[in-house]
Amino acid sequence: MRMKNTQPTTFKKGSGDIAVTLKGVNKWYGDFHVLRDVDLTVKRGERIVICGPSGSGKSTLIRCINHLETHQKGSINVDGTELSEEMKNAEKLRQDAGMVFQNFNLFPHLSVIDNCILPQRRVLKRSKDEAREVGMKFLARVKIPEQADKYPGQLSGGQQQRVAIARALCMEPSLMLFDEPTSALDPEMVGEVLDTMVGLAETGMTMLCVTHEMGFAREVADRVIFMDAGQIVEENTPDAFFDNPQNERTKAFLKQIL
Amino acid sequence: MFDFRFYEISRQPEYIETLAYGVLNSLWLTILGSLFGVVLGVLLALGQGRDMPLWIKAPSVSYVEFLRNTPFIVQLFFVVFGLPLLLGYTWSLEASVVLAITLNFSAYYGEVIRAGIQAVAKGQTEGAMALGMTRWQTIFDVILPQAIAKVFPSMTSQFVFLFLTTGLVSEIGVQDLTWAGRYVADRTFRDFEVFIVLTILYMLMVFAFKGSFALMFRMAFPWWGKER
Ligand SMILES: Nc1ncnc2c1ncn2[C@@H]1O[C@H](COP(=O)(O)OP(=O)(O)OP(=O)(O)O)[C@@H](O)[C@H]1O
Ligand SMILES: [Mg+2]
Repeated sequence: MRMKNTQPTTFKKGSGDIAVTLKGVNKWYGDFHVLRDVDLTVKRGERIVICGPSGSGKSTLIRCINHLETHQKGSINVDGTELSEEMKNAEKLRQDAGMVFQNFNLFPHLSVIDNCILPQRRVLKRSKDEAREVGMKFLARVKIPEQADKYPGQLSGGQQQRVAIARALCMEPSLMLFDEPTSALDPEMVGEVLDTMVGLAETGMTMLCVTHEMGFAREVADRVIFMDAGQIVEENTPDAFFDNPQNERTKAFLKQIL
Repeated sequence: MFDFRFYEISRQPEYIETLAYGVLNSLWLTILGSLFGVVLGVLLALGQGRDMPLWIKAPSVSYVEFLRNTPFIVQLFFVVFGLPLLLGYTWSLEASVVLAITLNFSAYYGEVIRAGIQAVAKGQTEGAMALGMTRWQTIFDVILPQAIAKVFPSMTSQFVFLFLTTGLVSEIGVQDLTWAGRYVADRTFRDFEVFIVLTILYMLMVFAFKGSFALMFRMAFPWWGKER
């Protein structure tokens, strides 16, 4: 199925069956070829887990999808918006494609609820009351409404990551990108963040998750994608991927992490 | 043993008044210069940002380098006497002096603020941008508050240092605290006593500044140090 290229300015949120299309995407950092001919179609509501060795380009790939990085060749289409180096409405796109980082990137100078309020006010131009209400709704969703008035530094890593998820959800994204959301956490906190992500998946959110949490992948993912050296080497349903990997590199990788 | 005669100063209300005016003048010159200087300093710091175009970056860097590597007294003479000649227009002495002080201060504050901006984690910009915030929103709502908090102690010492350099404006007849001291000393011939009084007054003002800044910090950055 092909996406038609709508004008970048007419941003139709969450419409259509396809959330993201990548076609022949290539990216270089100087001479270094990070992404090589990446093709990927993400259907609406689909949950995709991306894994692969360090340096294989997983972060780069999802950072390209919300335009924190630009690609040099091929096309990336997110919700009908064609991404390009000089695109004008990158902010609009980023608000539509929520992103959760390994290091949370919460704003330490704002309380938890203000972390949720600020982007809503600035980007969506919501009133303070409305932004607070939405913020509290999503803090309740990630099960920490009682921490609303604390500062991020006063929370545990797991709680901070849940706040980061809530903050992203406040922008009403139609797609969520996760870049190793649990790998900076102490082991005992990984569970609470994964539970939040499973909860989110149950709402039908389109999700692209870079993670090596195989339990999560088996439980939630529709597809697992394995990347190596900037290429998608293998993709399959989680069970087939883990139990019966085809590619030698996938096998070697799985042997390492399992 | 030297015979201290402080009463030579204190018995004349005119001298006390002159010194009090000196304190006030030094105060508002420093405060005004700092207010404008910090605003200009923020712009200078932003102008030197990594992704700024060269036509903004080069003048920002040159400006800061020039002002930090030339004597304040020369800058003062240039702004107060040179600029009016060049522009064919005369300001009041006060306005020219405030301008000179602002220009000088801005270069120093700019450097401190620039260090602060660099010290804010890159992830903060990405976090804000990923939420759809624009570059300017990111700078003003996310980066600058953290940058200023980080360098607030350096800003305080920079402020004190710049305050102490304002004594030079007495050279062109601005009636600041240093000028007042000279005025009183010339009339009482008690130079030693007068300079002891000046030292104490300057020191008291510095303590007052430091106290106010500490208070300001706690009010402006309640989140600072709130870690588990
Ligand atoms: N800004 C950059 N400039 C130059 N090279 C970069 C830059 N960012 C990433 N790279 C390189 O690109 C490659 C892919 O990086 P990327 O962060 O996408 O890998 P990754 O798969 O996410 O790895 P990890 O599991 O360690 O997070 C790495 O070799 C990295 O060194
Ligand atoms: Mg990565």
